Amino acid sequence: MRAPMQRPQVLFLVKFFVILIAAYLLIAWNPVNDNVIVPFTAWIARTSGWLLNLMGQGVTMNGTIIASSKFAVNINNGCNGVEAMLILLASIGAFPAPIKSRGIGLLLGALAIQVLNAVRIITLFLIGAHYPKYFDSFHTAVWQVIIILAAIVFFLIWSSRVARTRLATSS
Amino acid sequence: MPALDWRLVVKALAGFVAGLAVWLLLSPQYDRLIARCAEATLRTFEKPPVTRLRPGEDQYVTVDRTDFGSGSQRPAIPLRDLTFNFVLLTALFATGKRPFSDRNIAGFLIASVLLGLTHIGAAITEVMSIYVAKLGLWSNVHYGSFARNFWGVANHFYRLVLMYAIAFALWWIFRGNDGDERTKTRGRRRR
Repeated sequence: MRAPMQRPQVLFLVKFFVILIAAYLLIAWNPVNDNVIVPFTAWIARTSGWLLNLMGQGVTMNGTIIASSKFAVNINNGCNGVEAMLILLASIGAFPAPIKSRGIGLLLGALAIQVLNAVRIITLFLIGAHYPKYFDSFHTAVWQVIIILAAIVFFLIWSSRVARTRLATSS
Repeated sequence: MPALDWRLVVKALAGFVAGLAVWLLLSPQYDRLIARCAEATLRTFEKPPVTRLRPGEDQYVTVDRTDFGSGSQRPAIPLRDLTFNFVLLTALFATGKRPFSDRNIAGFLIASVLLGLTHIGAAITEVMSIYVAKLGLWSNVHYGSFARNFWGVANHFYRLVLMYAIAFALWWIFRGNDGDERTKTRGRRRR
């Protein structure tokens, strides 16, 4: 027989969805999208393009577009790691922890997500240029899930560490 | 920096690979099932019932209406883009302390069924977002700005973050308390 969820677990889920919805509405708001998300995405495109050029791919960057003679990608919401950062923000924000631990968790988690996201963009570009028939599957099911999974695994490791510290402190 | 728990990472990746294989294998049949259920639900609320969802061989489902002109183009939706959060759900259930325990398997099955229901909702939202905004003059004549905003935001929210949040929440609810127990045990050992 499955035990019903305890109050803290229910509270975590409620807070998780409240933070997620609030954060989504904030980034979907046109002024935030135009002045924060789009420039941030363009910066991701420039960084990924620079790394691709280091690998000899000969790409050019124009805003959020990375292009070569073989292939071009336009990096949009959903490919800039922001969706994983929102999941991380909502889960860390909903978990009972000191502000400092939350701040460190968010900072390190966002950094890890963006490093992984750069790997995603580079591999997707290479797949699109050399194995185009696999691009769609890798673009959605493979890399999208890996990025979100990485954010959740990071949260699990972080929350387990925070809970252990709290238990050790309270004993 | 939180220390990397390699067992957790390996379990998550194994679950990811297993989930991806199942999803790729069953998607053609699953897409047909979701299309049929979404079509039945849409037609229940239509007077007269006009929507037809026709799964094709190219991973797309064609949205047809009996009141569309015979020469007009039919939009198509990629159902697979709405259902791949099943892979995330599988990976998350694989991270449990005992992934193959009866309790974890039962939780996974219940969560999968509920996830399926959200896929029907996502397919309906996708179709409605086409009706309200992507059919030019027809959309403007039949739907107002509230409907356009509601279905547009619902579709964008689902695709951007909600589909992952649903998988995460279902796992959180049905995973049992393995993670908490593990944390408590470690805490007691330290004492």
